[in-house]
Amino acid sequence: MKWLKNVFRRKRMYRDLSEEIQQHILEKTESLVDQGMSRADAEYCARRDFGNVTGIEERSREAWVWPIVDSLCGDIRYALRQLRKNYGFATTAILTLAIGIGATTAIFSLVNTVLLRPLPFPKPNRLTWIKQQDHSLPGVIPASLSYPDYFDWRALNHSFAGIASYTGRTVALESGAEARHLDATVVSTNFFDVLGTAPMLGRDFRPDEEKPGNRAVMLSYSLWQSAFGSARDITSRTIRLGDHDYVIVGVMPKDFQFPIGSPAPALWISLSEDADGKDPRTAERGFDCLDVIGRLKPGVILEQAKADLSLIAGNLARRYPDSNKWFTSAMLEPELQRLTGDVKPAFRLLFAAVMLMLLIACANVGSLLMARSSGRSAELAVRASIGASRAAIVRQLLVESVVLSVCGGIAGVVLSLGLLNGALHLMPLSIPRVENVTIDGPALLFVTAVSVVTGLLFGVLPAWRMSQLRPSQAMREGFRSVAGGREQHRAHNGLVVAQTAISLVLLVSSGLLIRSFVRIQSVDPGFDPEHVWTARVELLFDKLNHDQHVQFYNRLLERVSRMPGVQSASAGWPLPLSDSIATVSFNIRGRAIAKGDEPSESVAVVMAGYFETMRIPLISGRRFGPQDGAKAMPVMMINQAFARKYFGDENPLGKQIQVELGDGVINRPVREVIGVVGDVKAKSLLAGAAPQYYLPYAQAVITNPFITIRTSGNPAILHGALRAAVHEMDPTVPVYQVSTLDAYVSKSVAMIRFQTVLLSGFAAVALLLAGIGLYSLLSYMVVQRSREIGVRIALGAQRTDVLRMILYRGSRLTCAGLGAGLVISAITTGFLSGMLYGVRPYDLISFAGMAGVLLVAGLLASSIPAYRAAQLDPIETLRQQ
Amino acid sequence: MMILRSLMREPMHGYALVQYIKQRSNDLLQIEEGSLYPALQRLLRERLVKAEWKISPSNRRVRTYQITSAGKKYVEREVSSFKRMVEGITLVLSPSES
Repeated sequence: MKWLKNVFRRKRMYRDLSEEIQQHILEKTESLVDQGMSRADAEYCARRDFGNVTGIEERSREAWVWPIVDSLCGDIRYALRQLRKNYGFATTAILTLAIGIGATTAIFSLVNTVLLRPLPFPKPNRLTWIKQQDHSLPGVIPASLSYPDYFDWRALNHSFAGIASYTGRTVALESGAEARHLDATVVSTNFFDVLGTAPMLGRDFRPDEEKPGNRAVMLSYSLWQSAFGSARDITSRTIRLGDHDYVIVGVMPKDFQFPIGSPAPALWISLSEDADGKDPRTAERGFDCLDVIGRLKPGVILEQAKADLSLIAGNLARRYPDSNKWFTSAMLEPELQRLTGDVKPAFRLLFAAVMLMLLIACANVGSLLMARSSGRSAELAVRASIGASRAAIVRQLLVESVVLSVCGGIAGVVLSLGLLNGALHLMPLSIPRVENVTIDGPALLFVTAVSVVTGLLFGVLPAWRMSQLRPSQAMREGFRSVAGGREQHRAHNGLVVAQTAISLVLLVSSGLLIRSFVRIQSVDPGFDPEHVWTARVELLFDKLNHDQHVQFYNRLLERVSRMPGVQSASAGWPLPLSDSIATVSFNIRGRAIAKGDEPSESVAVVMAGYFETMRIPLISGRRFGPQDGAKAMPVMMINQAFARKYFGDENPLGKQIQVELGDGVINRPVREVIGVVGDVKAKSLLAGAAPQYYLPYAQAVITNPFITIRTSGNPAILHGALRAAVHEMDPTVPVYQVSTLDAYVSKSVAMIRFQTVLLSGFAAVALLLAGIGLYSLLSYMVVQRSREIGVRIALGAQRTDVLRMILYRGSRLTCAGLGAGLVISAITTGFLSGMLYGVRPYDLISFAGMAGVLLVAGLLASSIPAYRAAQLDPIETLRQQ
Repeated sequence: MMILRSLMREPMHGYALVQYIKQRSNDLLQIEEGSLYPALQRLLRERLVKAEWKISPSNRRVRTYQITSAGKKYVEREVSSFKRMVEGITLVLSPSES
């Protein structure tokens, strides 16, 4: 630590030292004067006898601090002074670097927060996502568990310290006269224990709170604050959710959230509520609705656990073939991997793209530095000839470039903040944890590392080159400014070619993604999402009976359709592209099928007018109407894919199908197919049309369908009107999930849009940087060769010849870059094939188009210096030399 | 060593030290006057001498160096080891007595 103290004391010491030396010389001078010498001679003599004052001061100082620290500080100060002096150069270089480093940092913090950061629970890598595998269809299809299966897995396994179940639900919390809609998660009582997080207030669930009648809830911090005013005495109080009372056992810490993703649950309910009733879900082995997370015992690896659970699953399948026949094995994955697996390829792509962009920025600044350092060769030669060692010169040049890149890094952090906020704000992503993205410690560390590395990267070439200079030659060259050495030109050209090549790779990739995105945008979803407003109302299932449900919706829809601007209104569940899918098995009359082997397809329950509102075309037969009530003949509709798969060329109308859907009122009736409608992209715009069938709401009541309203104009005004209408009918019914249908469609391609827009942005910047690189190289060349050009013109060269010469040079460089870039692109675009829709990775249009764009940019960039060269006044130029 | 030995006699400032060493060595040692200062700084760092600003007899503000007790011990140790070394060299260089 002594040296550190010295660092702080050294200012005073140095002052003392130089004063002492001055005194010494003065004293000597005076004693010589006393001996009869003239003052001037005496001073000269005293200085000569003393020796090199600066050198001695320097050596004296070296006794005190690490000389390296000192000279580094000196180099940094000098570098900053240089930058201030060359304002234009510094601004260009720092901006270029800021773009490169800023974009890299933004993507890094995205990757870090979403992909790399461990889950916020103790020993997070032991948390395991668990499903059972559905072997009834080809491919690897994960399926949820039923309560009885879950209980068996939990009791019989040997690999897990605990397995917890959770399943999403919505509840209405009565607060005063109004009701609030809340997202809840129904969990097993060991849920928090498995996650390893204790409540901040109150206690954890007790095992007996899984038994019927022991309904209990754990509050989230935000609900505790917003609905209960952060009351400390909240525990053991009772709250009313829907029609039942629940005991509050505790409050979770502020940052606790599971499941991760949106919407964040406002409270967790013990699964006691599913154990209630005469037909409890906890006893229904076919009701597969549970998500499951386990915590591995120490020392147990995933494969062991998988074998363990698969054994249990196999036994269950043999014992309960009716429900479990196809679920003979377990699927396990680390929870974090499961959570982020979908976005990994996109993030990898973006990260690779920004790294390339950073490389281009480096090359750009590198060539800027090189151009500038030739102008400085005289200065450096002077330094070398008065004794600076080669290492000292290299060190100083490297320090200068690192100072540049650190400045760029600082600007880059600001830029990345803007980029992150802007991008995520404009293009919201439904990626887990994305809301936590900030420029945090690791990101700052990353910026620092990147800045220093880039500084060295782009600085090393010019620095090495400058250190090769022979002072005598450099001084001659520097003062006369003739064309730079051949070798330097080669290095400089190489940088420009590399830049062009890399930016072509980015351009081609973005071209492919753009074309793919355009294809996706033009996919017909099978319905018309424009001008449709959707919302749900939280109608309590137990409060109203079957008929009252139907009546409530009928009355509500009638009111809504009378509102101004409304063309039609209906309701249905699930909405296409809304991330929820329900599949229910059925059997077609007249086809013998063993129990447990029944086919199963996705189902939607809709009200009359749904197909008109969604503009899903009717192909044959008729649509549901008011006549298809609870007491009427049971009916259903199917889509074209369903008709093709199950009826082939037969006419599906009039076929009898028994659907395994009971709601307590209508029990698994045999239904007649009354109509066929067009296919709808239910899961994703990219997937092919899947078979789907529709049931009328009155004959299959389900909770809280989406109300869909088609309007003639701007649907936004409806929001308030709908709320008012519902409130008027029943003030305790909350309205939620209000959105446009368009938003669902757009959200389903949000990630694709995000990566396309960002990558295109990066490619555009890369193009700009490459253009600037070429421009500055040629401008520099014109300045360097102005004397030669002047002589040529004076000797009778036509101005068009000069123009052609520079343009030729520029286009040759661009073409070299293009060639290299095309080859690299051809190799790399193969990696994109998984992300492309309807475009091949070797898509000719993207390749040729982007090469064309780059060529035009190259010509543009060279035309300005070429024009300038052609305008040179030979007399003026020669006189200047 | 020479500096410490000179300072053992009395505290001195830089210029006086140079003069003193020159004079003691009968001008045999032609050292660059400045080279004294790096050496002095090193001695300061090792705390073998200490320095303070004083007014010299010629009414000049000078930085006077004074040997510390550590410095004195150091000189004694070094002088004795130097003497032993000289003794050894002398023994080797002197003609053998056999």
